[in-house]
Amino acid sequence: MSPAHRLITLLGVLAAVLVLAGAVALFVGSAALSPRAVLDAVTGRASAESVERVVTLSIRFPRIAVAILAGGALAVAGVAFQALTRNPLAEPSVLGVSAGAAFGVVIGQSLGLGPGLLQAAGLTAFAFAGALLAAAAVYLIAAAGRELRIQTLLLAGVIVGIFFSAAITVVVSLLDFNRLGGVIHWLLGNLAPIPPRPLALFAALLAVGFGLVLAHARELNLLALGEESARQLGVHAERLKLVIFVGAALLTASVVAFAGPIGFVGLIVPHALRMLVGPDNRLLVPASLLGGGVFLLVADTVARTIVAPAELSVGVITAFCGAPFFVWLLRTRYRGSV
Amino acid sequence: MREGMRKALLALVLLLALGSPAGALRVSDMLGRPVTLSAPAARIVSLVPSVTEILFALGADDRLVGVTDFCDYPPAARQKPSVGGMVNPNLEVLVARKPDLVVATTEGTREETVAQLERLGIPTYLVVAHHVSDVTALVTRLGELTGRRAAADALRARMEQRVEAVRRAVAPYRRPRVLYVLWPEPLIVPGRDTLVTELIRLAGGESISAADGDSYPRYSLEAAVAKAPEVILLANHGAHTGPIDRERWQRLTELAAIRTGRLHQVDGNLLHRYGPRVADGLEQLARVIHPEAFR
Amino acid sequence: MSPPLVELRGVGFAYPASGEGRAHPFRLADLSFEVGAGEIVGVLGPNSAGKTTLIRLLTRVLEPATGSIVLEGRPLRRWRSAELARRVAVVPQGVPPQFPFTVEELVLMGRYPHAPDRYFETQVDRASAHAAMEATSVLEFATQRLDSLSGGERQRAVVARALAQEPRLLVLDEPTAHLDLRYQAETAALLRRLNHERGVTILLVSHDLNLAAEVCDRLLLMAGGRQVAVGPPEAVLNEALLATAFGCEVTVEKHPTTRRPVVQPTWRADAPSIGRGDAPTTKGG
Repeated sequence: MSPAHRLITLLGVLAAVLVLAGAVALFVGSAALSPRAVLDAVTGRASAESVERVVTLSIRFPRIAVAILAGGALAVAGVAFQALTRNPLAEPSVLGVSAGAAFGVVIGQSLGLGPGLLQAAGLTAFAFAGALLAAAAVYLIAAAGRELRIQTLLLAGVIVGIFFSAAITVVVSLLDFNRLGGVIHWLLGNLAPIPPRPLALFAALLAVGFGLVLAHARELNLLALGEESARQLGVHAERLKLVIFVGAALLTASVVAFAGPIGFVGLIVPHALRMLVGPDNRLLVPASLLGGGVFLLVADTVARTIVAPAELSVGVITAFCGAPFFVWLLRTRYRGSV
Repeated sequence: MREGMRKALLALVLLLALGSPAGALRVSDMLGRPVTLSAPAARIVSLVPSVTEILFALGADDRLVGVTDFCDYPPAARQKPSVGGMVNPNLEVLVARKPDLVVATTEGTREETVAQLERLGIPTYLVVAHHVSDVTALVTRLGELTGRRAAADALRARMEQRVEAVRRAVAPYRRPRVLYVLWPEPLIVPGRDTLVTELIRLAGGESISAADGDSYPRYSLEAAVAKAPEVILLANHGAHTGPIDRERWQRLTELAAIRTGRLHQVDGNLLHRYGPRVADGLEQLARVIHPEAFR
Repeated sequence: MSPPLVELRGVGFAYPASGEGRAHPFRLADLSFEVGAGEIVGVLGPNSAGKTTLIRLLTRVLEPATGSIVLEGRPLRRWRSAELARRVAVVPQGVPPQFPFTVEELVLMGRYPHAPDRYFETQVDRASAHAAMEATSVLEFATQRLDSLSGGERQRAVVARALAQEPRLLVLDEPTAHLDLRYQAETAALLRRLNHERGVTILLVSHDLNLAAEVCDRLLLMAGGRQVAVGPPEAVLNEALLATAFGCEVTVEKHPTTRRPVVQPTWRADAPSIGRGDAPTTKGG
């Protein structure tokens, strides 16, 4: 089977799984809606003001969309960072960008209510500002002259992340008692439905980030040979590193801004897919987009139904899945490669 | 708002209401945001325990279709269906209750939740209360929203009478310095523009943190001790703040309050919520700060 | 006489001095030599002679500070990256650790410079990779992961990757380091075959003086960033020159069968620099 055919088959299977998961997710939730009611809402037979229509189309559907987009973005960012740093432990949060975005949101939330309400758009802008600040800091630390050093990048990312996490702690400790609950809640990582316009913006940003990474998937493979060998094969290594960094940072910042800080997806999904599909980034990158979407969608669906009507934060589910998965991964890989 | 102005505005609203489609109610919430109801609220979801208490006190609890997990007074409130916590109410469950009005607060409910409700087209009424006058105003507003104006007026009058009684009882006495411990670790105290500070003042004391920060600032223990409080009040949240916390304070034997044995526990639920029990809370405070006024 | 494939004239380079200021910051100075089409040229010298720097200059990983490098009559600067990679291929020492790809995937990477804008490789690419794997006898391992192969097999796979680039100049950086004796002989045979059957020009950088003597038409001896001698093995592998370059005494003999020079360092039991410092013991001491 030619590689193009392989890719299409793979994406077809993943897409089918995704659609199925999405459909199931639409039918479950805290409001006890019969399958009939959900179908009515979707097909337009339910009346405009009915509960099923509001719940299905204004609450569940947008939330499912956010989960899919965020999961895909985080997984692709994970693949990109792992290829860029040639480190299997690399994860979007390792670049410090998510901590920066979280810091921006915490600042925005603590400035909070004025005579009007702080719009969701405003909070997103704060998140992006924080992410930009963190990414710039990391880049400036790691760039020596015109060269971006990968080892320094990892270290810089960790340091910047620690710095912003500490900054967040400071803000939280000074925060007005009343706002505290809201901020802590956000920091745990929860998905919430987003209205259509911001959702479209989110999707557009993700498309840009994804496009940047996908366009260079082949070069990312070559990077595994080492930077010098890649350059000797004709790869523009400096440009590649910058583009991948920007793309992955954009994906990460967008997710934190629109959906909150969610961990582990960028670690689990690429590794799981690598076991199925192999290390070729040309397959991994698009597969992660769909695979990440499935993963986070399932995790979020579990999070919002398992202790209904209360909700767990989705970050809890991904972490509880992530830890045992990793133990298993270490043990099987370790045994297998000897 | 002054009582006279309020009456005039109400008259205007009623006039407009008469001229508009039957039953439409256009009001402003306590933040000045306009809220429009097509009819007096018949299905209310309360995201604020204080509001729940008031609605019960007004006899309007038949219109209450959803409360939070923290709405525990009166006991009957626990029988009402819950939509989740104050910070994170479950949207689906809330919508499934089919409310025509949601009451939320700026101090507790997240902005995102309010934004979500607005996007879903559910009228949301925001409340905030920093002063006793706000609490009584809230009682009146809720009375209007539920068509229980008479009950609201009566409740309000009773509350104002009790407040006045306390004020007169403690008037002759010197105001001791009071440290109010909202939360022991980290030490959180009531600041400038809060209900608790005003209640302490009405009860004949003066909070040592009355001029500090907005809302509920954090204090270091040193700062608190440096202001030499004469009375220390430990706020109870539910069944919290047991004997252990008292010991922590008992050890500070240099403090005037400890030497004279003026370390007391007070029921936070009466003082932090802005409902009808504020009067109970005030009386409790006054008895503790000026026991001599109530023999 | 055909024009040289590669010409270096007065090439100099200096690595930026490190923070602590090394006493003698490394410099390559005044390198001038040529590589003719179809030649096998060896580059020899001790560790910091500048051999690896030379490779980096030839592939434009580094830019010379002085002098010029000309490839096929055109200055190296004027070559675009992919174009250059279609002419010059480097065989590094092995692959980075934990390299996850199979042999075939590795060899196909060598096809990148031929169509860098394509997402997947074409049939032509696959055919070329197939031929390269055949030439280096790794075709049977095509679908196996690189880290499951032996050292020699892995090295041949790396050579195949370079061959897939279909270069005119093949540059090998220490191809027999860490390899068993058997693979050293195989590598020598492979290089000669590539040169004779496909006309590939080869630049071989090596520590192994005898391998270079066997395989190469001409040698370049370097030391301390400068060239010490250029010429056929018999001329360059001269005891005096080698002693200067390597800083130790050597003996050069003729190989009994091939008549090529064979270099041996001088093992002297009483030399003070060979640290066996005990005085001879006497029994009952």
